[in-house]
Amino acid sequence: MSGLLRQAWVISLKDTRLFVRDRFALAFALAFPLLFVLGFTLALGNISSPDQPIVLRVATQEQEGISTQIIAALTAGEESVFQEIAYDEARLAVKHGRLGGFVAFPADFTASLLAGGKTRIEVVSRSEDPNRRAALEGFAHALAGQISLAREAVATVAALKARETGATPALDVGSLIQPTALVAMETEQVGPARPIRASNFTLPGYLTMFVFFAAAMGAEAVARERQTQTLERMLSNGVRRESILLGKYLSTAYRGLLQLAVLWIVGIFGFNVELGPEPVAVIAISVLMVLASAGFGIMLASLVNTVRSADSVGILTSIVLAPVGGCWWPLFIAPAWMQTLSKLTPHGWANSAFNKLMLFGAEPGNVAWEMTALALFGAGFVAVALWRFRMAPAR
Amino acid sequence: MNEEFLAAKELRKAFNGNVAVDVVSFSIMRKEIFGLLGPNGAGKTTTIRMMATVLPPDGGDVMVDGHSVLRHAGEVRKLIGVCPQELALYPELTALENLVFFGQMAGLGGKQAKEAAGENLLLVGLQDRAKDAVAKFSGGMKRRVNLAISLMSRPALLFLDEPTVGIDPQSRNHIFETVQRLRGEGMTVLYTTHYMEEADRLCDRLAIMDHGQLIAVGTPRELKAQIGQPEKVTLEEVFLSLTGRRLRD
Repeated sequence: MSGLLRQAWVISLKDTRLFVRDRFALAFALAFPLLFVLGFTLALGNISSPDQPIVLRVATQEQEGISTQIIAALTAGEESVFQEIAYDEARLAVKHGRLGGFVAFPADFTASLLAGGKTRIEVVSRSEDPNRRAALEGFAHALAGQISLAREAVATVAALKARETGATPALDVGSLIQPTALVAMETEQVGPARPIRASNFTLPGYLTMFVFFAAAMGAEAVARERQTQTLERMLSNGVRRESILLGKYLSTAYRGLLQLAVLWIVGIFGFNVELGPEPVAVIAISVLMVLASAGFGIMLASLVNTVRSADSVGILTSIVLAPVGGCWWPLFIAPAWMQTLSKLTPHGWANSAFNKLMLFGAEPGNVAWEMTALALFGAGFVAVALWRFRMAPAR
Repeated sequence: MNEEFLAAKELRKAFNGNVAVDVVSFSIMRKEIFGLLGPNGAGKTTTIRMMATVLPPDGGDVMVDGHSVLRHAGEVRKLIGVCPQELALYPELTALENLVFFGQMAGLGGKQAKEAAGENLLLVGLQDRAKDAVAKFSGGMKRRVNLAISLMSRPALLFLDEPTVGIDPQSRNHIFETVQRLRGEGMTVLYTTHYMEEADRLCDRLAIMDHGQLIAVGTPRELKAQIGQPEKVTLEEVFLSLTGRRLRD
């Protein structure tokens, strides 16, 4: 056993030495991903805007009445998020896309309320602005509820007063729907709301892509060794097949760990990448991803026969698996079927975990499935490599 | 020299139904330089790969110093060194790094491997270029590194598969002298080549293969005697007389 490990160790050191001396391979593994991260981070910028409250426009078709009292109460104060707008102007603005939406009171609003009949509040919004529509609908529902309560209260007071004096009280619904009427809601925001940095998903995405890419290209080196008979030479020297396989696995893993270290360090200090509240879990996912990629590399090496086929398969698998696995864009913005498809790739599980941990503040327990899946992918790849690895080209 | 060191017994190998080696048997004596000749595709390299334990035979066996390549491959590997036809080395590494790496693969410790590498580089005349990348070497120098690697474990039996192909006369002569010196130190050598004058000069005995079969075995003089007076006949004439003049793939 110690002989196997010693041989594997020496092979892995030799391969690492070859990798470090190959300037193109080094640049491909380390500089290329950084260039991609830089380019896409600059292109995408911050994927969400800074915290800006939505301004809700309110309109009425009445000249005067309860709706004008309500609007006056809503728009009072400098910090109000409500702004009055003329009804026709608002409709035109929504139609031409200058306004996301507004809430409007109909011309018979006051008359209907006083008559004890039903009335309505109109919500007009553009279909491509669901956030504003949700806000306007929420506001309209709350307002409708509060008006109903106010009318009941006024009606009750009026009835009691009429019973005592026979006089009719002045109706002031607007005063009853002041935000401070009975229950006030207070929203506290702690700390400034910051936009999500594009580098927080571009870096793990391209890290995953290039770690797997470099591992896949390692298959080409193994195919070349088969052709030049260095593997056979080792075998005739008494080296076990398992030692060679383990050596290749280790050297691919070292390379991945080097990529990991360089990209995370440059990402944190150069691109302000944030690992989230659980940096240890991010590192654990990264290491599991590298181990899975090393297994992937030796599995490809065991399946290909020639240098050309190794090149083709390495490039093809990398180009296909990266977008499917969410390396080029965040998986959570992809359609559901694509998110499901991504689960067939180790890239998908790795990126899912990175996004959860780095963008949504997940805890390690929340990425347990991702960790398990990466470990299983790695084990599966190694099992195939053990089964199929050849020392010489097939004839 | 009369002690049998290697015995190939009815070796057979086929690839996808094409017979590469067809019931081949021969012996190599201890400290002998045994030449294996044949046109391209005759089955020489396949025979060497089976003897070197890297290719399992479909039938037959090879005994090396009493150890079967089928049952005791590990023991056989301790006795042999292989210098393949391909330059089985890493051009990006230096000559020294190549030798140390394969020495360690052969079971030597780091210090032992460095010492042996120094000795072998001296043997092949490359001690001054030890720290240069092999990629910068000429073809002849690469061949000498290839040979030096196969000597790292100081094998008792050395397989040399066309070690002088495509190199200048100086390098060829150096390899030649190295092989003779190794034989003088007690090494047994199996040597394949397409250069008949090389085989004539170097080998104690020769076997000629064609179409996967062994068609003649004997000393150079015995083979020459098959077609004329040994002093007047060349080995190339013997070879062409036995294998024909038809071009091979």
